[in-house]
Amino acid sequence: MSDLQNQLHDDVHDQLSRRTFLGQTSAGLGTIALASLLNPTGLFDASAPADGPVIGKPHFPPKVKRVIYLFQSGAPSQLELFDYKPKLEAMWGQDLPESVRKGQRLTGMTAGQSRFPLAASRYKFAQYGPGQMWLSELLPHTQRIVGDLTFIRSMHTEAINHDPAITFFQTGSQQAGRPSFGSWVSYGLGSDNQNMPAFVVLLSKGRNGDQPLYAKLWSNGFLPSVHQGVVFRSGPDPVYYLNNPPGIDKTSRRRMLDYLGKLHQAQYKHVLDPEINSRMAQYEMAYRMQTSVPETMSLSKEPDYIFDMYGPESRKPGTFAANCLLARKLIEKDVKFVQLYHQGWDQHNNLPNDVKIQAKSVDQASAALVLDLKQRGLLDDTLVIWGGEFGRGCYSQGKLTHDDYGRDHHPRAFTVWMAGAGVKKGLVYGQTDEFGYNVVKDPVHVHDFQATVLHLMGIDHEKLTFKSQGRRYRLTDVHGKVVKPLLA
Amino acid sequence: MTLWLLLQTTPDASVDWALFIGRFHPLLVHLPIGFLLAAGLLEAGRRWGSLSVERTTVGWLLLWSALGATVSCVAGYLLSLGGGYDTDILTEHQWQGIGVAVFSWLAWAVQADWTGQRLARLYLPLLTIALVLLGAAGHHGGSLTHGSDYLTQYAPQPIRTLAGAPDRPKSVVKPITDINQALVYAQIVDPILQSRCTQCHNAEKAKGGLRLDTPEQLKKGGEDGPVLLAGNSLKSAMVGRCLLPESDDDHMPPKGKPQLTESQLALLTWWIDQGASFDKRVADLPQPDKIRPALVSLAGNSPVDQEQPTAGSATSSPELTRPVPPANPQAVAALTKIGLLVLPLAAGHNQLEVSAVNTPTFSDAQAALLPALKDQLVWLKLGNTPITDASLTQIAQLSNLQKLHLEHTRITDTGLKSLASLPKLEYLNLYATDITDAGLTTIATLPALTSVYLWQTRVTPAGIAALQRTRPDLLISSGTDSRTLADFSKPEPTTTK
Repeated sequence: MSDLQNQLHDDVHDQLSRRTFLGQTSAGLGTIALASLLNPTGLFDASAPADGPVIGKPHFPPKVKRVIYLFQSGAPSQLELFDYKPKLEAMWGQDLPESVRKGQRLTGMTAGQSRFPLAASRYKFAQYGPGQMWLSELLPHTQRIVGDLTFIRSMHTEAINHDPAITFFQTGSQQAGRPSFGSWVSYGLGSDNQNMPAFVVLLSKGRNGDQPLYAKLWSNGFLPSVHQGVVFRSGPDPVYYLNNPPGIDKTSRRRMLDYLGKLHQAQYKHVLDPEINSRMAQYEMAYRMQTSVPETMSLSKEPDYIFDMYGPESRKPGTFAANCLLARKLIEKDVKFVQLYHQGWDQHNNLPNDVKIQAKSVDQASAALVLDLKQRGLLDDTLVIWGGEFGRGCYSQGKLTHDDYGRDHHPRAFTVWMAGAGVKKGLVYGQTDEFGYNVVKDPVHVHDFQATVLHLMGIDHEKLTFKSQGRRYRLTDVHGKVVKPLLA
Repeated sequence: MTLWLLLQTTPDASVDWALFIGRFHPLLVHLPIGFLLAAGLLEAGRRWGSLSVERTTVGWLLLWSALGATVSCVAGYLLSLGGGYDTDILTEHQWQGIGVAVFSWLAWAVQADWTGQRLARLYLPLLTIALVLLGAAGHHGGSLTHGSDYLTQYAPQPIRTLAGAPDRPKSVVKPITDINQALVYAQIVDPILQSRCTQCHNAEKAKGGLRLDTPEQLKKGGEDGPVLLAGNSLKSAMVGRCLLPESDDDHMPPKGKPQLTESQLALLTWWIDQGASFDKRVADLPQPDKIRPALVSLAGNSPVDQEQPTAGSATSSPELTRPVPPANPQAVAALTKIGLLVLPLAAGHNQLEVSAVNTPTFSDAQAALLPALKDQLVWLKLGNTPITDASLTQIAQLSNLQKLHLEHTRITDTGLKSLASLPKLEYLNLYATDITDAGLTTIATLPALTSVYLWQTRVTPAGIAALQRTRPDLLISSGTDSRTLADFSKPEPTTTK
């Protein structure tokens, strides 16, 4: 080492020593939190910090123990799927009255259009289930389970473009950097199975060339990195680099991890970075996952009638249907938050054709998942959520013909459904105007939706906070109220 | 002199100045104590031991004792202007303190060279009197600060009798065994006041003229008026003051003293809002959800400030928020040792969920560990384990059980019968077991049951129909039968109108 390097090393070391005194307290909390994440049963330890990185228990007894979020990325058209608007048929081709839009902003993709011709759904609607709910013919399987669903037809969001909107749904903020929904849940409740991550992500797409997804959507943000979503893939190698390389057996792996742990510990004492502990926790988690994950992710023991239920695509790894089946298996292993993302809903043009393909790729598997959870008694404490980042507009983007039209982004009103624990069955909540443009009754903001799901999980959304950069953050920022009428 | 003028001219500031200086009394007072004792010991060593100490050394110490005692007296007088002390004890302490100063000066004077040793024979008596007065003043000073029963509070009874203290009250506070039967004032409120308030608001040291040690005094209030307005905690100063920012001069307890915890404050507020009764029991008063966790935490003598629970509940079942004693940590440890997960249902509640999700080998023998948590265990997940009917006799003892997962186990109708003793069971998962229609008769008798899962069992449609007739409200899930499934799985079901 040169003198300069020595000098640098000493400087850094001195600084860290001075910082030791200040850093000790918070780092200590981090260690406790880590311990409690790894061993959530350490609940009788009165020294666990109330405001530390893991709260580890709900604020009040929960209705929902686990969530499966079937995120429909790209924004499905509520007008072709859920929100029946006969007025659009009556006024087909006429301009959207200015009294409805009232000059509200549009995206750059249609703001320049000279006309806003109203486009009715090309697909028929009919009433289904005990509540006689209107539903599109594109969802023949969802029709069978409407009695178990709660529709929120009055969702609205603040963002108008995909990336900010999906970030808003997932993190409560349009700008990147905040923790994802699942990370907050992992931070707030810990894990119910120390052999699996609390927050698992599964990806699929209905067609190519749609809006991209980014890892930031399942990022832990400023929360300790043990809370980030772990992406699982279908097939023999569900998690990248999880299996031992050829020539390395379990014993060598264990010995390697033990030694690595010692090095990490030494380094931690030196620099006191709590992320080192996070990293150690993840290595250990990966080690335990080496046996638990392949077992959970293997579909080889699933009988044929289950594959039939989820549809033929469920045999094809990486499809939405296969991911729904995996989601059920993860839920059976008490994973807290399973987040699916399904790309392909961004249909600015050629919508009638694309929405049909896209709906077909999700309809049967979504409905089968609800049924399958139900027959296993899991729907009793699992919540399934189905929805995108915003809705689509009632006027055509581009040329309107009876067979072809497109729809632009529409944040002011769209539909999300939920099924399972704690929510009313067969309920339609909220109402849009006759154009499906504005919410006219019981609006549900994204923050309200987040507050409601957290409430079902036993969390007071105002109390689940994390201090970062001098202020305390929440998933719901400074907004959000629990939508009580949705609760069973 | 300047100070004296200041005191005279600005009456408002004068009190502040007086107290500022007065508060040095507890510091200053230890100087003459040390000096005088040292002087006495040195004098004794010089006369009766073989200590080679000059007379002038002792004299020098006496001079400082006298000076220190004098300054302490002045500071002590200024401190007493703040008021709030028992006048009788204060008067005694004051004169004893002055006595120490006077006799120290005298003892110093008679031995000094400039008095020519003419009164030297008075030296020893004067020094002795100073020392005796020092002891008395010290004791009374202690009584003023800590209360007159400070020394005797924990003394054994013979010593108390000797000291003339009243008999010790039989067990200061009765420990709470059943929270519902606990006396709100005597067992909850008073202990909080004892721990945080009465050190300064008691019979001897009634700061602000206020005493919080008896119901009568609580109702009476202090020199600023009443502190307790039954039914309105916000207008009751004894709560209002505690809610002020800690930096506020009126905040209580004073800055630096142990503060009330959130749950202690919640309990006081609750007590006042419910009428501030002095004889009611917990069960006699309404208990909003907010206060329940604080009450529960009292039950097992667990630290009151351990949790900061939240109001509200996502669940409608009162079973899950009912106060139960905390679990025995050893019983919990025994379960976690064999790989079971023991999870708290919620902060502020002692109810537990136990899960065998990571213990596929959980056995009947191990099930014997479960009844140790019979009060706390409300949700139990034993699905996918090889347990048999033998485990069910253990589970039958878990009388608070609300949800029970037995799917993919080896239980039979015979074992199911023992579950008839579970009065609160709402959820029963039996899918993929050998349960038959015979088992349904047991299920029909479970009083609280709302949902039962029977997919992939040997029950028949007729059996299910019969059960549904007996229990019309029961959710019976027998899964998706093959016909429905075949229909569901058809590529394009023809359901459009």
